[in-house]
Amino acid sequence: MASLKPLEIYKLLPKKNCKECGDPTCLTFAMKLAGGKAQPDQCPYLDENAKAILGASTRPPIQKVKIGVGERSFAVGEEMVQYRHEKTFIHEPGIMTAIADTIPADRIKEITTDVRDYVLTRIGTDLRLNGIAIRCESGSPGEFSRAVEAVESVADLPEVLMSIDPLCMEAALGVSGNYRPLIHAATHENYHEMCRLAKKFSCPLAIRADTLDSLADLSSKCATEGISNLLLDLTSTSLHEVLNRTTAVRQHAVTRQTPALGYPVFLDCAQQGLDDAFLVTGVAKFGSVLVCNPLSHPVRRALLVLRQNIYTDPQKPIQITPGLYRVGNPGMDAPVLLSVNFSLTFFTLQGYLEASRVPSVMLVVDTEGLSVLTAVASGKLQEAMVKEAIAKFDLGNAVSHRKLIIPGYAAPLSGRIEDATGWKVLVGPRDAADIAEFLLQEWKP
Amino acid sequence: MGISTISEWTGQIGELVIGATRSEGGTRSRMLKVGGEKDLNGIGNPPLGHTAVVAYEIADDPDLWPAVARHAAGDASSDPATWARFAETEVRPDLIRLYCTSTRRRGFSDTAGIRKTIEEVLQATSLPISIEGSNDPAIDSEVYQKIGEAAAGERVLLGTAEAGRYRSVAAAAMAYGHSIIAQSPIDINLAKQLNILLREIGIPHDRIAIDPYTGALGYGFEYSYSVMERIRTAALKGDEDLAMPMISSAVDSLTVKEVREAEGEDADRIAVAWELYAMLPAYLAGAAIVSARHPKTIPLLRDACSSIFQAYHGGGE
Repeated sequence: MASLKPLEIYKLLPKKNCKECGDPTCLTFAMKLAGGKAQPDQCPYLDENAKAILGASTRPPIQKVKIGVGERSFAVGEEMVQYRHEKTFIHEPGIMTAIADTIPADRIKEITTDVRDYVLTRIGTDLRLNGIAIRCESGSPGEFSRAVEAVESVADLPEVLMSIDPLCMEAALGVSGNYRPLIHAATHENYHEMCRLAKKFSCPLAIRADTLDSLADLSSKCATEGISNLLLDLTSTSLHEVLNRTTAVRQHAVTRQTPALGYPVFLDCAQQGLDDAFLVTGVAKFGSVLVCNPLSHPVRRALLVLRQNIYTDPQKPIQITPGLYRVGNPGMDAPVLLSVNFSLTFFTLQGYLEASRVPSVMLVVDTEGLSVLTAVASGKLQEAMVKEAIAKFDLGNAVSHRKLIIPGYAAPLSGRIEDATGWKVLVGPRDAADIAEFLLQEWKP
Repeated sequence: MGISTISEWTGQIGELVIGATRSEGGTRSRMLKVGGEKDLNGIGNPPLGHTAVVAYEIADDPDLWPAVARHAAGDASSDPATWARFAETEVRPDLIRLYCTSTRRRGFSDTAGIRKTIEEVLQATSLPISIEGSNDPAIDSEVYQKIGEAAAGERVLLGTAEAGRYRSVAAAAMAYGHSIIAQSPIDINLAKQLNILLREIGIPHDRIAIDPYTGALGYGFEYSYSVMERIRTAALKGDEDLAMPMISSAVDSLTVKEVREAEGEDADRIAVAWELYAMLPAYLAGAAIVSARHPKTIPLLRDACSSIFQAYHGGGE
């Protein structure tokens, strides 16, 4: 169902203006509901019909599900769009490192400790792996619960407990059931038992079926049993099939065509030889919980950075504050390099300048977070603002010369910048990687 | 019943052919046909006979090439023809992208040498190729004329046309029967404008590949990802000025800090990861041609793209 307009919502409200929802009138409450800033259950007087309509149209089309407890717990779901450029993607997928319950406890602890401690800091954010998936390959409740104990002995990480045998699952839940692990998986065969366990331990539940129709049917059955914290396991050995399933599920969920598919997606990415491809597809195309084999350092870095990229809000370019930035310990004769306040341009140039070992000054102007290339093309980088920035940041007193190195892609502006500022302009390389060579060969104060 | 993907599209991506075989007046062993899709990459049934194209990038002046890619190619990288041969026999991409990096040196003037390089590369490999020329308007005309002429009849992909400088590339493409790469700086409107400019000077739409410029993973890749998705969905909604196949190369992948600062074997592994984790999502976002410089990235990228692309022909559903 498409979202309702405020007046359409208003018609469904009691129009008593009782203020019990916290708003002065039913109309203002209707406007908040339409904007997603209030919940229908804040109104105590809604009739059943209104509740059904408003419940369906104002709750996010994909159920929010929380996995784990404490500092490292994470939420998935609540996504609203098919493409990140339509608004943004909300909750990053959790990356869960898989271990089998048949490997030695020491190895389990080693892998768990690594997942617990690994952190990659980029652009001021700590990127981490999220948790551990324990596969019951032994078929034994005792072995399975011992493996969970081994994990629990070193970390409070979110877990996925993977077994279709309710006896094994109950044994494992006896160990970590109070810490909200994800139960994987309920099928048409075992869902009664699995729902009972999910209810008993208040845990989220992943469900699995051969086709999307069968899965929608199963999610409805689980809902009837009172379980709404579900994830849909869309794993297939065919990556093509996975992509088509995840795309279809997101489409049916966000358009509300098939509310029974309005749940986050689980993918087992440990697939022979194609783990990377499954992980990339999971991150870019709607995965919410991704299970994988232990990842090498190069792969985990790339994966975490990709996830950060895809889940960055496209409406907010990451900017830095315009101003003078000093690299090394620049003297009065140090070169001055013009750059823009797009954070990645800044960090890239700064990195190469540090590597060049030539102390320098960066003059960063406000291009509203655009890169050099896009700022020049769209007119967001102009000579007047360079002139203003030189005055505002008192560049004339920071160096004794009057020379400005501009980015290669800003070459078309070189004459105009010279005329406007009175500074001599040197056109630098297009690629920041060439800046060291440029400074060594071309720079004289 | 039968819940499946919902197609909301009316448009179709145009087709682009790269490489001419003997029967078409060239010497390539095969031609590549890209485009033709009516949905996102990998969704539903892809058009028969089309493939995801994986390109391996090499350079004529290896000093101006990332060290990790150069070292991985070993001695082959010292000479473009040997490198092209190495590409065909060892790396096995669908397409070789030759960057004439020599033209980017200050004071470059050896256009006769460029001509010779192209001829030798075409001799050394029978794979379809694309050729990236100079990026200095002062020498563009001469360089592209020489490249175009040396590859006459081979239907190569010629790069790069940009909004400020496209006439030399376009002229060479038209004179010698090539197609061109139209590059714009991560902006759907600028991509469209350039395609309109090219149309106005007589380049047919089926001779253009859109290069929306791809930032490296962690260095603006998210912008490129979304611009590719926007271009692709605009095309599927019927915008013919954006309905050309896209080519993507995260050209800075191997010079980013993460790769630069890695050492030994780790450098190769991170280089491969950095390329793979940008190019595979680029393919999912809509690129028809994805490119990499590390030889070990190529087979991984091929396996991944074909498993996304081909399942319905491989005995799947």
